Amino acid sequence: MAKLFPNKLLGLLGCVAVLITFQGLATRASTRISPEQATAQAPATPASPQAATGEKAADTQSKASDQSKPYEEAEYRTFPKVGSRVAIWAVAQLHLLFAAFVLAVPIFAFIIEVIGYKTGDLRYDRLAYEFTKLLSVSFSLTATFGAALTFMLIVLYPKFTNYLMSVFSPTFLPYVLLFFAEAFFLYTYYYGWGKFHPLLHLGLGLGLNLVGTAIMFIANAWLTFMMSPHGVSDAGAVLSLRDAIFNPTWMPINVHRVIANVAFGGSIAGAYAAFKFLQAETDEERAHYDWMGYIGNFVAISAFLPLPFAGYWLAKEIYAFSQTLGLTMMGGAFSWLFIIQAVLIGNLFLAANYYLWLGMGRVEGQQPLQKFIKYLLVGITLCFMVWATPRSIIATVSEVRAMGGSAHPILGYLGVMSAKNTAVNILILTTFMSFLLYRRTGKVATVPWAKTGHAAQLTIFAAAAFIVIFLGVYGYFVEATVRIKLSVPQVLSVLFAMISITAIDVFLFRGARRTGEVRWGHIPPISQYVLIFIAVTFTWLMGLMGYVRSGLRQHWHVYGVIRDRSVDAFTPTLGFATKVVSVTVLLFFLLIGVVFWISSLHDRPDFQRRSGKDELSPESKGGHPQGHRQAIS
Amino acid sequence: MRVPLILRIGALVLATTGFYTYVGQMVPQKEVFPPRESTIGPNMTTEDMERIGREIMEGKGMCLTCHTIGKTSGPFRFPDLAGVGARAKTRVAGLNDVEYLAQSMYEPTAFVVPGFPPAMPPINKPPIGLTDQEILCVIAYLQTLGGTPTVTLQTKHHYNGGAK
Repeated sequence: MAKLFPNKLLGLLGCVAVLITFQGLATRASTRISPEQATAQAPATPASPQAATGEKAADTQSKASDQSKPYEEAEYRTFPKVGSRVAIWAVAQLHLLFAAFVLAVPIFAFIIEVIGYKTGDLRYDRLAYEFTKLLSVSFSLTATFGAALTFMLIVLYPKFTNYLMSVFSPTFLPYVLLFFAEAFFLYTYYYGWGKFHPLLHLGLGLGLNLVGTAIMFIANAWLTFMMSPHGVSDAGAVLSLRDAIFNPTWMPINVHRVIANVAFGGSIAGAYAAFKFLQAETDEERAHYDWMGYIGNFVAISAFLPLPFAGYWLAKEIYAFSQTLGLTMMGGAFSWLFIIQAVLIGNLFLAANYYLWLGMGRVEGQQPLQKFIKYLLVGITLCFMVWATPRSIIATVSEVRAMGGSAHPILGYLGVMSAKNTAVNILILTTFMSFLLYRRTGKVATVPWAKTGHAAQLTIFAAAAFIVIFLGVYGYFVEATVRIKLSVPQVLSVLFAMISITAIDVFLFRGARRTGEVRWGHIPPISQYVLIFIAVTFTWLMGLMGYVRSGLRQHWHVYGVIRDRSVDAFTPTLGFATKVVSVTVLLFFLLIGVVFWISSLHDRPDFQRRSGKDELSPESKGGHPQGHRQAIS
Repeated sequence: MRVPLILRIGALVLATTGFYTYVGQMVPQKEVFPPRESTIGPNMTTEDMERIGREIMEGKGMCLTCHTIGKTSGPFRFPDLAGVGARAKTRVAGLNDVEYLAQSMYEPTAFVVPGFPPAMPPINKPPIGLTDQEILCVIAYLQTLGGTPTVTLQTKHHYNGGAK
């Protein structure tokens, strides 16, 4: 990375960035003056003294006219080239991606640090520190994009921003104070590593998590209000700030975002570990980063498995708030977006399972459980295919006639919610099983009730799968009111299976006999590219789902209350939306690459002057992270 | 020649985003514009109202997002509207077809067709927000589905100032 970005190149890139920003601002400023105004303000060369006198009089009149010009509040302004919507969209998405990362990493860094403290295993402490190292630069970028987003909203959407401020102004001061508190906790947590008593340091980590979550909850109130306004009159007058905050989608979004952030943060941390693994020159480094990547992926997928359930809750609340909004999402303009989502999630499941399968090779000796993976893979692929089957198929007129409608006579049955809910639940169960098989690799349970335990786990798994499939098929034969409710027992049975099987597994493999040691670092390099693929897919998925959440309002700033009357008050094609998402994702990865590079500077040996007496040794400068870690021990 | 790591990773990121962008181009592409305001003139005939009513149902009213017309087999999200013009006359005791259709738009949860969820929003309020005259046009169109339109722009019902 350092070779790729030498100082001169970075300086040049910085200059280019400043010039582009300046040009953008200059263009922005120039567009605010109409051609008529520009002509009126432009000085002209007088042709004769009389003409000059006449022009002077005209000039005086023009100035007087300017002075009497009334103040007019702009409703919208235009961002050059790409338009206001795309500009806000990209900046908001970048802000959200960095914010998600900054909120997520402390959650699992804190948990890992707790494990390290409880077990006394320094590896965990080092891992938690390594995760935390990525935070400080990301925090600055989050704040920068947050400020850019605020300024752009004020400049480009002044009237609407003014309205949001009138509703939520009492929340601004707590938000700012919490932001200060987050900066305090974050920097003391990071710079105080090994400097305080471990419990005090853990307290800082806890504070960081609580404050970060509170900040997100406040910001979520603003954005969910736009989707499901509450506590205001039909004309938008504020009736209750509390109701505006506790609007119908606020808590589902809070829960959904906490879980999604953890999944996303885990995947990015996994990608960082993959990058470091591929760069590593020693076996020790490879072992460490392999382990870090595994933990990152474990965090990502563990959070990802319950995410659809939080998604169900959110969708249910959207439907309950407004059936029209719900149907626009699932059956209207955005229905095809969920086919793209299915492709993304299917890829995530396939990649995660592939990574686990490759990971089984880390364990010494033959692994009998590996042979089951191919059956799981068949199940995952089938579920993926069902989920990605659209209800209506793009077809020519003759094909539609031949099918007797836009739905395929056979495949059309797979495009409805009964089939998709079933596919998702089985997909989750299967991936969970894959995790379980990985967990057991190289171990044999030795507890006396081992056989009963295995049988109980298998029975629970089979029962959950049966309930999910049975209710899925039953859904085809009942009224809509009944069918909608069937997803609840499907979800509950899968959740029950995951929790109970895990609980049994923990006790079942307590004191298990090892048939082979885990050799960290002994994994094919392709596994690391899989981790990076997972991170890119997660990021893209977040971009896509961010779009649907926001785009769902269609031509409303605040749904049903404040109408969007700008030139962008239409829903773009999905093709256009995916292009914007892709550009944002690429920008994010470019920036996160810079974050990784800056973070890696910490581990570089100190600069040594070549001239004799001024030469400084690395030891004399100090500051190596190993120093912090040693201090803890 | 060994490709530098950073380029390999860059290529992977580009290829992955490129693939998802490609998938995004494969699905149907449609821009959805805000509903057009209907032009309802004071001298409009019932026939004109039927035409405008149909346009409103497809556009601003968003009726056909949930309802179908003439679908013969399930699953149904909400009641199919074929024949509603005839059914409306006898659906609720004490309400004629105009009153029933008006009630189902102004106060949709007052009577819910058995087997369907009480999920229809009041059509005269945002986000749909049809005007009284637009709702009369929709009633005119609905009456054509199995019945004969009788409403004019002067028709009064319980929700626009008429007596129940």
